[in-house]
Amino acid sequence: MAGSLSRVMARMDNLYEFDREPVDEKNLKPGRYFAGLFAGEHVAATEFVIGAFFVLHGVSFWDLVIGLAVGNLLAVLSWLFICAPIATRTRLTLYWYLRRIAGPGLTLIYNLAVAVLYCVLAGAMIAVSATALGMAFGIPSPELTDIYPSSVGWVLITLAIGSVFTIVAILGFEGLSRFASVASPWIFVVFIAGAIASLPRLGVQSDLSNFLEVAQTQIWNGVPIEGQEKLGLWHVMFFAWFANLAMHVGLSDMALFRYAKHWGYGLYSGIGVFAGHYLAWICSGVMVAAIGRDMNPGLMAFEAVGIAGAFGVLLAGWTTANPTLYRAGLALQTMTPGWSRWKVTLLAGAITTVLSCFPVIFMKLLDYVALYGLTLMPIGAVVFSEHWILPRLGIEQYQAEKYGWAFNWNALIVWVGTLLLAFTALTSIHLYFRWLPSYVFAILVYTILQYAVSSMDAFKKYRRVPGATTQRV
Amino acid sequence: MTKKILFTLAAISLAVCLISSIVYFLGYLSDGQFKLTFLLATIAWFVSATAYAKRGKKGAESIG
Repeated sequence: MAGSLSRVMARMDNLYEFDREPVDEKNLKPGRYFAGLFAGEHVAATEFVIGAFFVLHGVSFWDLVIGLAVGNLLAVLSWLFICAPIATRTRLTLYWYLRRIAGPGLTLIYNLAVAVLYCVLAGAMIAVSATALGMAFGIPSPELTDIYPSSVGWVLITLAIGSVFTIVAILGFEGLSRFASVASPWIFVVFIAGAIASLPRLGVQSDLSNFLEVAQTQIWNGVPIEGQEKLGLWHVMFFAWFANLAMHVGLSDMALFRYAKHWGYGLYSGIGVFAGHYLAWICSGVMVAAIGRDMNPGLMAFEAVGIAGAFGVLLAGWTTANPTLYRAGLALQTMTPGWSRWKVTLLAGAITTVLSCFPVIFMKLLDYVALYGLTLMPIGAVVFSEHWILPRLGIEQYQAEKYGWAFNWNALIVWVGTLLLAFTALTSIHLYFRWLPSYVFAILVYTILQYAVSSMDAFKKYRRVPGATTQRV
Repeated sequence: MTKKILFTLAAISLAVCLISSIVYFLGYLSDGQFKLTFLLATIAWFVSATAYAKRGKKGAESIG
């Protein structure tokens, strides 16, 4: 068992070998690098769905405008004050820093959790693309309440799209990658142009004199459609804040900010977040209202800007699914000894494609985004505590690295305990709000556990000196 | 020079995509005209922007 774990850990380390060392000063990137990165990353297929769902959930106009503004600002501040400072001090990815703190065993579990979550998200993106292509074949989009595949046609179209996405990911045509990289600016324009072109259908006058009235009565009118819960200001605010929880509070974007010259570069996240989440969500809300609140991204874009719009949805789904397929494959590769990259990508693609047949992920995307962030957030709390709080309390840092532990059991206890808290004790709180008290809980409990363990005499006797076998000290 | 032309073409294509929606909103284009314009501008964007990106990579390779 120990031998198997060691082999898996060695393979995992090997995968990430190229960025094992802290980023050198001469490799740091200028601000425009981060501006471009964030601008491209946060305008994706998910935006077609999320913005539309705010309309379906009866968010009112001012709740949306204010909620998104405050929530996105909080997200930017989270990148700025939580993620970027740790990244610029350590110059490491979360993988290598977590390994020092939590041990390679727990890092492996984290990697696998990320892989599974990415597969589900990629599956949702395939479903989004399917709404576009399905129109060409007269295949209806699933209903909001559908959990299982709604028709044979839907299954066939999602399997077909998922297969093509997987094959393209395996073959890795450079030309197609280049094609995808130029898609981002155009997809952003699809959102804006689509919203503008949808306004006449909603009765907005060309002088915009009645825009506010239409926005408050036809689009964000505060009335949820049947079967959907009503969301208000706080829901919108917290959603906008945690939409990228795994990246900022969860510290996944250490991979980006380790190249930043200064932690202040965390502010560049605002470019992506306000252009993508704020603007694109508003635009998709306009488009869904224009087609009668039918959750069908393909139809939304097609009615707004024509065939190019449907193509835009298809492309947005692909450009979002492709990197997630790659990352999922990377994580799964640690568990598949001797498998070549194409086999692992095929496995990840197969899992993702099957998941895409089930419309529940796509139709419950808001809840899934909440669960995604909630699941990975405790690890961010552990790292935050280890980095900032433990040294200030005189608690020894990086014990997993120093004593050669495969698992930092305190970190695992905190991860599991935080999730138990969120899904048992905090059930009276709306799902969107649970992450914040859970985050505070995780930081506190990890700090207390590390303090307790570090001061235990019995523990100190069994410290394992690096490079030696376990021995009494 | 060619890179500059491609960049300009790409930028104009993207601008046409956006501006056509505004012109349609103001009532100067029919629905069909707007969607056709958007489609043509989209094709122009992908052709020119992809070619520009390809040239940019070749340039980097020749320097390296």
